[in-house]
Amino acid sequence: MRLTRRRFLGGAAAVALSGAGVYELVDRLTPAPQRPAAGPSGPPPEQHVFDLATAESEGVEVLVPPLHSEVVTAKLKVADLAEAQRELEEALRALDARYAPDPAGLGVTLAWGLPYFETHLPAQVRAHLPFDRRAGKPVLLPTRRFPSDPHDTLLEQNDLAVLLRSDSLDHIGDARKTLFEQLPFFAVTSIRRGFAGGGFAGKQSLPKKMALAAGVPGAELIPDTSELFLGFTSTQKAGLGPRLIANHETLGYVDLRSGYFHGGTHMHLSHIAEDLEAWYLNFDFDERVLTAFRPGLTDVKQGAQTVAQGPKDAATVEQLAGEFKRTGRIGHSASIQVTSRLQQDVVGPDGTVYPKGTSIPQRADFNTLDNPFAFSATPERDRLSTDPQAGVHFVVFNPSGDDFERNRLAMDGVLPDGRRLPVGARSRAQGFNSVLRTTHRQNFLVPPRRHRSFPLAELST
Amino acid sequence: MRATIVAATVALALAALTAGGAGATTAGSCPAAWTNGWQRLADRIHAPVYCPTWMPNPLDAKIGGDYTDIYSVSKDRSYLVSFLEHGDAGSGDVHVNFRGYPGRTAIPRCKTIILSGGKTLRGTTPCFADPAGKARAAGIAATVFRVNQDADQWHVLLAWRHQGSLYTVSEHVIKPYTYRQVVANLHRLLQSLVLVRPQG
Repeated sequence: MRLTRRRFLGGAAAVALSGAGVYELVDRLTPAPQRPAAGPSGPPPEQHVFDLATAESEGVEVLVPPLHSEVVTAKLKVADLAEAQRELEEALRALDARYAPDPAGLGVTLAWGLPYFETHLPAQVRAHLPFDRRAGKPVLLPTRRFPSDPHDTLLEQNDLAVLLRSDSLDHIGDARKTLFEQLPFFAVTSIRRGFAGGGFAGKQSLPKKMALAAGVPGAELIPDTSELFLGFTSTQKAGLGPRLIANHETLGYVDLRSGYFHGGTHMHLSHIAEDLEAWYLNFDFDERVLTAFRPGLTDVKQGAQTVAQGPKDAATVEQLAGEFKRTGRIGHSASIQVTSRLQQDVVGPDGTVYPKGTSIPQRADFNTLDNPFAFSATPERDRLSTDPQAGVHFVVFNPSGDDFERNRLAMDGVLPDGRRLPVGARSRAQGFNSVLRTTHRQNFLVPPRRHRSFPLAELST
Repeated sequence: MRATIVAATVALALAALTAGGAGATTAGSCPAAWTNGWQRLADRIHAPVYCPTWMPNPLDAKIGGDYTDIYSVSKDRSYLVSFLEHGDAGSGDVHVNFRGYPGRTAIPRCKTIILSGGKTLRGTTPCFADPAGKARAAGIAATVFRVNQDADQWHVLLAWRHQGSLYTVSEHVIKPYTYRQVVANLHRLLQSLVLVRPQG
């Protein structure tokens, strides 16, 4: 199927708010993957936990992401928080009753920004916000830029972000309508849509099909079965944190204080534009591997998309520094692994053993053709365009804001021991980073499910 | 110039895409206005060169003409002939390179420089890499290379061998031409090539 540019643009503009626009193509281009039936238990206590089926890709176990993802951000327009809390929770429970908490059903994650807490509940958040002992800071930090960010990366101030995940666009549409049209509490600031996967069975993947249909520059260069635009599989199981590891309490970094946010986590949301032509026309396959994973990785078969990144493959600080000295490069994965992988075995509070090398962050990123969003209430500020653009809405859960920042800084060559590898911002030595441009960022707190609706509001009276 | 490039591009890109297959551009002889330059090049390097009979709009392939950007012959007789139209105010470029390496068929290596802190790390890499299929026309079986260096950086390049020599033609992927249009242009260029042999 080839979508004309006029149809693409017309569709995107006309239905950004009310419907899915071009993303309806996802359903037409790729059938929903077969998923095992959901178990009898209800939603987990954690909002961010979203169990995915696994598949094998090039001999590596990978998680099969939901076809559709959407993030809606909003500011509050609420007078009575306690009343709003009850009504929102009621609406969320209705969604829970309609859909199983899995990709065949619907995943709903409510994440609250610092402006929500500071504006509406300053005393309560001072009393209950968990504290990152390792960092000596609260778990929710003001959003910041990083060394490789452009100077014009927008640091957002939303009260709320809702992440919706499903194989069904109808389910996501129902949730958006339920939460943002039928309830009077939110002024939507942006809608961000996208997709992932679809290529594990050897068929043309969704990102490739969607990029071709939209006619984004470089679409033809994406490998046919690639899970994401940049050509490598991002959801291998060993590269993502196991089920509860991103909870505030699991690794012991965080003082939960009152315990109100036990089972919660930190979420970072950003939009990153990707220059596909720069990636595929300037980096040959070997260099794409070196810069996406690590320098010295020379035994990867030409054209491979899934490169094993198990616990034993994780780079150490010394390896990273040594390879940088030898080659002048840091690999994207290797640089992050010095902070994103456990440096020693850890036993969680429930007795689960997390071995050294286990990944901590749980990513939920997805590709997009938004430029940068499907809808913006402030299009000029957000530099909204109807021209489709390859990008990623990056969503990641970490035990704390500092934990996210450590990973993101390591990606720019700032090591956890304080050393700073002299990697030029967005230089070729940074690989991925040289073709990425972050347009927006914001940090959020994801409360446990029991407090997902206007957290702390019940303590305000 | 911008309007000229864009308008002509739309028309020609459509023509190139629909023409794509055999017969759209048949190689005859090197156009009269261009032949002197290519003949002089062949004579200078004592080896055949390929003259195009079609060029992407607005370029021509007159060596020494308005669009000539680089005309370089090395001591080893290898050559680079480059034609460029630089559009105004970000409207884009149209840039086509022709290369020949008489007497050798190996893909040359290009120098790389990585600045690491205070150090400069030097190395080499194949000048043409990431092969992505074949293009056949005018008796030539060319390999398509997607990642190329130096003057061919950010170009798609076709390379082929003829009588013990390596030849290439490449075009920059940049507005107003998309990747798909550049590939179509290169196929059409390949179809249009005629061999100019040294005289005397």
